[in-house]
Amino acid sequence: MSINNTLLEINNLVVEYVADRKVIKAVNNVSFTLNKGETLGLVGETGAGKTTIAKAIMRILPDPPAKIKSGEILFEGKDIMKMSEHKIRDIRGNSISMIFQDPMTALNPIMTIGKQIAETIGLHEKLSRAEAEIKAIKMLEKVGIPGERFSEYPHQFSGGMKQRVVIAMALACEPDLLLADEPTTALDVTIQAQVLEMMDKLKKELNTSVLMITHDLGVVAGTCDKVAIVYSGEIVEYGTTAQVFDYPGHPYTKGLFNSLPRLTSNEKRLKPIKGMMPDPTHLPVGCKFRDRCPHAIDECREERDRNVNIGNEHFVKCDIMTKEV
Amino acid sequence: MATMLRVENLKKYFNTPNGELHAVDDISFEIEEGKTLGIVGESGCGKSTLGRTILHLLDSTGGQIFFEGEDVTYLKRQKLKKLREQMQIIFQDPYSSLNPRMSVREIIMEPLLLKGEMKEDEMEIETEKLMETVGLESRLADAYPHELDGGRRQRIGIARALALSPKFILCDEPVSALDVSIQAQILNLMLDLQEQRKLTYIFVTHDLSVVKYISDEILVMYMGQMVEKAPADELFANPLHPYTMALLSAIPIPDVHAKNQRIILKGEIVSPINPKPGCRFAARCNYASEECHKQQYSRELSKDHFVSCHKAEFINK
Repeated sequence: MSINNTLLEINNLVVEYVADRKVIKAVNNVSFTLNKGETLGLVGETGAGKTTIAKAIMRILPDPPAKIKSGEILFEGKDIMKMSEHKIRDIRGNSISMIFQDPMTALNPIMTIGKQIAETIGLHEKLSRAEAEIKAIKMLEKVGIPGERFSEYPHQFSGGMKQRVVIAMALACEPDLLLADEPTTALDVTIQAQVLEMMDKLKKELNTSVLMITHDLGVVAGTCDKVAIVYSGEIVEYGTTAQVFDYPGHPYTKGLFNSLPRLTSNEKRLKPIKGMMPDPTHLPVGCKFRDRCPHAIDECREERDRNVNIGNEHFVKCDIMTKEV
Repeated sequence: MATMLRVENLKKYFNTPNGELHAVDDISFEIEEGKTLGIVGESGCGKSTLGRTILHLLDSTGGQIFFEGEDVTYLKRQKLKKLREQMQIIFQDPYSSLNPRMSVREIIMEPLLLKGEMKEDEMEIETEKLMETVGLESRLADAYPHELDGGRRQRIGIARALALSPKFILCDEPVSALDVSIQAQILNLMLDLQEQRKLTYIFVTHDLSVVKYISDEILVMYMGQMVEKAPADELFANPLHPYTMALLSAIPIPDVHAKNQRIILKGEIVSPINPKPGCRFAARCNYASEECHKQQYSRELSKDHFVSCHKAEFINK
């Protein structure tokens, strides 16, 4: 792959939240790249720092309390953090857009959905109001909502349809990068299937890169090319979806898979990960997973770089379990 | 084994300004002691209403409920209070179902206090035992819910439900708000408790992988009606109703090699207000024809496998 195929490159990103004289280490030294047209799944549990990463890319982290301590976020080679406010506003919605988890709160309740989409288009493209509205109707139809419903209000739509409206809005300006933060978590499975299928179709049509934030490994398997497993603000494993799902290397990734009830097996008991995520104000020194890890040894307390490439760009942040491999 | 709970033609309708909302329509089933019935369906299908009607948290519109062979559909206050000791509930949201002004100890002790048969020190000991049973550290007894994470809060909810040693527990989406690693801990705890105490569960959820794992039998609901009921393995191996098939095919499988042909359904659930007779799924069904708009009956197609679809044999040929 050539260098200019890279759309987004994040290097050593560190984000902290400072509140009540406590420092919450939300993102700790995260690096990854996303190529054009590719979908990367960012998987982790509540509080792992997934949404903080996405918000940092959009540069919508509220400061205070959030502080980007170090690192760079290169979008098409340019550092987002060094851009002027004017420039970043130009990028937001135009080149990068974001879908939020809850479609119920993402829409303005007192504005028709057609107007809301047209407004987004009008902000970024030099179109007359009439032209913007025509384009909005086209977008609605693209996501499977009849154009006649242009002048209806959000409350007249079901949850699945609202999420499709949000997706229509996010894709209206044909962004290069879509940050999808749990886009189907609030939806029922049959509706989730509809929405995921539609996103996949649009993504291919527009060659959009997607950062898919989710806690659902099933959604990742069905939609992502690559996957990054996030734990306590660190990427503990990174690789193609096939690498990570077929040969999970990190004890946390393995634990996640063992915690999932499978439709295909008849196991009588799940093997959960013991304990809970560490308190982000008092992260353990060394490996952050060691308190819950069945393989932890004294060495795991050492502060060192434990990222191991176990073959073909499949990275695992554990140098104990990967030794023999 | 003895039948713990039997429900016959249970109905729950709500009056709305636009007409009668058929939240639960003519549902019948029975559960044996120590077994789990999973109730699945999408938002608004009536699964929670069904559970709550069985617990008498809502009054039923029609039908009968039998608990340990006794008709408990209509009960006077005193008898209902006695029945409720036997029938408990665990709620979905461990954040809003616990009183924020009560400590862990007070929350778990409250049912004992209300029953009023134990002395103060007996209750203290019992509470400690309950905390141990559900895996809560005793140092947390004086903590308040807001200090605890979701998994621990759900353990409080479980301890409270167990306080009066019920025979039956309605579990209404008890793990939906939890992360997978914590979800697995709670599911295992619930299975352990079931074994130790011979508990009977109704497990209401929209998560089909969870329901397969925990249930002996599964009932699938669509718009207030039962569309299919079968032993868990049988339902997943051999779904007969077109809705069940679509539902199962839509589950995202955490395996990159899984090649499931997704059946993408047209449209969405319509409102169950003044529903027309006939199959309520017909409007979205690929196999629907004229006869589907006539009254539907649940039929036993193979042993213990019930389906409400005229065309089940035809579709599954």
